[in-house]
Amino acid sequence: MDVLLGIRGKDFVLIGTSKAFLHGITVMKATDDKTRALNDHTLLAFSGEAGDTIQFAEFIQANTQLYTMRHSSDLPVAAVAAFVRSELASSLRSRHPYTVNMLIGGYDTKSDTPMLYWLDYLASSTEIPYAAHGYAQYYCMSILDAHYKKGMNVEEVTGLMRDCHEELRRRMPIDFKGLRVKIVDKDGVREVEGFD
Amino acid sequence: MDALVSKYAAEPELDIAEEDDDEVGTGLPQSVSFTLPPIDHPAKFLRAMTDDHANPSAPIKLKHGTTTLAFKFRGGVIVCTDSRATQGSWIASQTVKKVIEINPYLLGTMAGGAADCQYWLTYLGMECRLHQLRHKRLISVAAASKILANLVYSYKGMGLSMGTMLTGVGHGGVFGLYYVDSDGNRVEGNLFCVGSGATFAYGVLDRGYQWELTDEEALELGRRSILAATHRDAYSGGYINLYHIKEDGWVHHGFNDTNPIFWKQKLEKGEFQNVSTTLDA
Amino acid sequence: MAGSYDRALSVFSPDGHVFQVEYALEAVKRGTCAVGVKGKSIAVLGCEKRSAVKLQDTRITPSKIGLVDSHVCLAFAGLNADARILIDKARVEAQSHRLTVEDPVTIEYITKYVAGVQQKYTQSGGVRPFGISTLIIGFDPNDDTPRLYQTEPSGIYSAWKANAIGRSSKTVREFLERNFKEDMDREETIKLTVKSLLEVVQTGAKNIEIALMAPGKKVEYLEAEKIESYVKEIEAEKAAEAAKKKGGRGGASASTATGTSTPIGGTSTSGGVTGS
Repeated sequence: MDVLLGIRGKDFVLIGTSKAFLHGITVMKATDDKTRALNDHTLLAFSGEAGDTIQFAEFIQANTQLYTMRHSSDLPVAAVAAFVRSELASSLRSRHPYTVNMLIGGYDTKSDTPMLYWLDYLASSTEIPYAAHGYAQYYCMSILDAHYKKGMNVEEVTGLMRDCHEELRRRMPIDFKGLRVKIVDKDGVREVEGFD
Repeated sequence: MDALVSKYAAEPELDIAEEDDDEVGTGLPQSVSFTLPPIDHPAKFLRAMTDDHANPSAPIKLKHGTTTLAFKFRGGVIVCTDSRATQGSWIASQTVKKVIEINPYLLGTMAGGAADCQYWLTYLGMECRLHQLRHKRLISVAAASKILANLVYSYKGMGLSMGTMLTGVGHGGVFGLYYVDSDGNRVEGNLFCVGSGATFAYGVLDRGYQWELTDEEALELGRRSILAATHRDAYSGGYINLYHIKEDGWVHHGFNDTNPIFWKQKLEKGEFQNVSTTLDA
Repeated sequence: MAGSYDRALSVFSPDGHVFQVEYALEAVKRGTCAVGVKGKSIAVLGCEKRSAVKLQDTRITPSKIGLVDSHVCLAFAGLNADARILIDKARVEAQSHRLTVEDPVTIEYITKYVAGVQQKYTQSGGVRPFGISTLIIGFDPNDDTPRLYQTEPSGIYSAWKANAIGRSSKTVREFLERNFKEDMDREETIKLTVKSLLEVVQTGAKNIEIALMAPGKKVEYLEAEKIESYVKEIEAEKAAEAAKKKGGRGGASASTATGTSTPIGGTSTSGGVTGS
C-alpha cells in the first residue's frame, strides 16, 4: 500500500514516499517519514513488512555513520547500495529474512553524479533513472516512461513527481495522505513542500 | 608450555567478546532468556494454540477485544482505557487494569495478550530504572519505547501479541507518545486509539480534539471517547480508567463504571438518542 | 622475586599493585602530550605531534585526536596502536547507542564506556592493559555545558576543567593550574591550550594540533597557519614580558634579551601569514 517513488535529474535525485502509516483499516499517522538519511548525500526510502523496514533501515544507517566516523569521509552512494544489497542477500536465506523494498537516492560528490538505486526484498539491485515500489509502479511507470527525459532540471522533475502524485490521488483507491518529497544533491538532503 | 600459554591466551578473548554487550555496552540485552516449555518448537506450538485467525477453535483465546486511547495536548497527555477482558464471546473480567504504571513518569496501555503486556512492560520498568541510574537522568520516552520495540521485534513471529501505547514525561519535561506493537511497529504521534473499539473511539476523539484543550476538557474527551467504544464494541466495556500525565508525572483520575456515566450522558446531555428509555414502540 | 609478579598478567603483588597497569601508565608518560581545556561553551583539545622523520608524509599520518561521534572528540597519550582499537570500540558503541535508544551518547556515558573497556583489560587473563590515557571532550545533545573527562589504563575516569596527559604532563598541568580562569571565551581558551603545550613542545606550531568543539557544531580542526599565529602572539608576549623584567634590572641587558628572542620566533616561522 505504501508509495515509494524516485526520479533522477541532471544533478540531483528526487524521492517521494507516502505519509500514511496504516495499521489494519486505520490510518494511525498521516505524517509518517519512510526515509532515513544514511550520510550527508545518501537517502534511503523503504517499504515492506512492519518492523523489518525500520529495523533494517536504521541498521544500515548506523553502519554507514560508523563508516563516516572511522574513515573521516562518507561511503559513496554506489558502495552504500552494494553494502545494502549484500546485507539483504545474506539475510535472505537466514531464519528471519528482512522483507524490505528500497530506493536509494544519492549524490556522488567525487564524480558529481546523481544516482538512484532500486532494490527489492530478494536483494536485486539496479541503478536506473526513475523507479517505484508497490502500487505506485502500476500507476506511475507509464507516466515516467512517457515524459522522463535525460538531464531534466529541478522544476521539470518536480513537475513530473507532481504528475505522478496527482495520478495516484485520482486513481488509487486508498488515501496515502500525500507524499513526503525529498531532494538529494550536492548540498545534501532537503525536503520539498507541496505534495499533500 | 606452549599449550599452557595458548590456553590462557585464547580464553580471555572469548570472555571479552561475550561480555562486551551487557557489561559496559548499553546494558540492554537484546533478548532475555527464560525457561522454555518442553516442546520441540515452542513458537509454533504457541501459534497453533492461540492463533484464532488461522484456527477458530484454537484452545487458548488471547484477550484481543479492547479500547485504549492516548493523546497529547497543551496540558500533557491523557490516557484512557476500558476494563473488559474477553475470551471469545465470554466476558472473563470487567475490572482489568489496562493502564500499566511503569514508574511515576511512564504509562503503558494494554491490548492483545495481557500476560505479554504485563511482563514486558514490567521488564521495561526495570530497564528504565537502570537507565536512570546509569545516566543520572530520566529516560526519554523515545528511548524507552525503542527498548520495548527492539525487544518485541526480537521475538517477531514467535507468538507475542501486544499493541501498546507508551507515554509519559522524560528528561527536561518532554512529553512523548509512541505506539508499539508486536509486529515491530513503533510510531510517534499526538493521538492514538488501539484495540477492537479503536474506530469508535477515534470517531469521538478526532471530532473533539484540539491542541488547546483545557485539562478538564481533555479528561472529559478521553472519557467520552472510551464510552463511545464501550457502547458500540461488544468486546469493550466495564470501567473507564483515566490518567493525566503532567510535567511532574502522572495523576490517576479514577476507575469508573461505564453504566452510570452512560445514563448521565444520555439523560443530562441528550446523547445516545437511539437508545429508548421506554418499552413502547 | 618480583620477577614472577611481573610475568603473570593482571595479578596483584603482595602489596596490592597490579604491575601491568603501572607499566601501562609508564607507556602513557612516554607518549606525546595532550591537553584539554574547557571554556565558556567551548572545549578544546590540543596535542603535541610526534616530530616527523624526513620522508614521513605528515599530511596523511593519523592524528592523535579522533572523533568518536559527531559530538564527541577524543585525544590520547600512549601507544598509538592501542588507541586505534579503543577508539574503534567507542565508535561502535556510540552508533549502537543511537541505534538502540535513538539518542546520541552523553559525554559521560561514552567516557564511562571507554574506561569500562580499559578496566576489563586489567582483570582478564592473557590480555595486556591499554597503554593509553584519554581526554574526551564534547557537548551532550541539547546542552551547552562543555565536558572534559580523562580515562586511565586502570579504568579510572575523572572530570576536569583543564588537564594534561602524556610526556611532561605534570609541568603542563601545573601551568594550567596557575593560568586557568573560569568562563574563558573561544580565543582565551585556545590560547591557553597552545600556551600550555608550548611549555613542553620546543619545535613550535608545526608540532601542535588543536581541535575545538562548540555546542551543536561539528568538530573544528585549527589550521596550521592559525596555530602558527597563536604561537607567534604568545612568543611576542613572552618576549615583551622578559624584556620588561630585564628592563627593570638595567637598560644594557634589555637589548640583548630582545635580541635573542627574535631568532627563536624566526626559526619557527616559515610563512608570512599572521593573524592579529
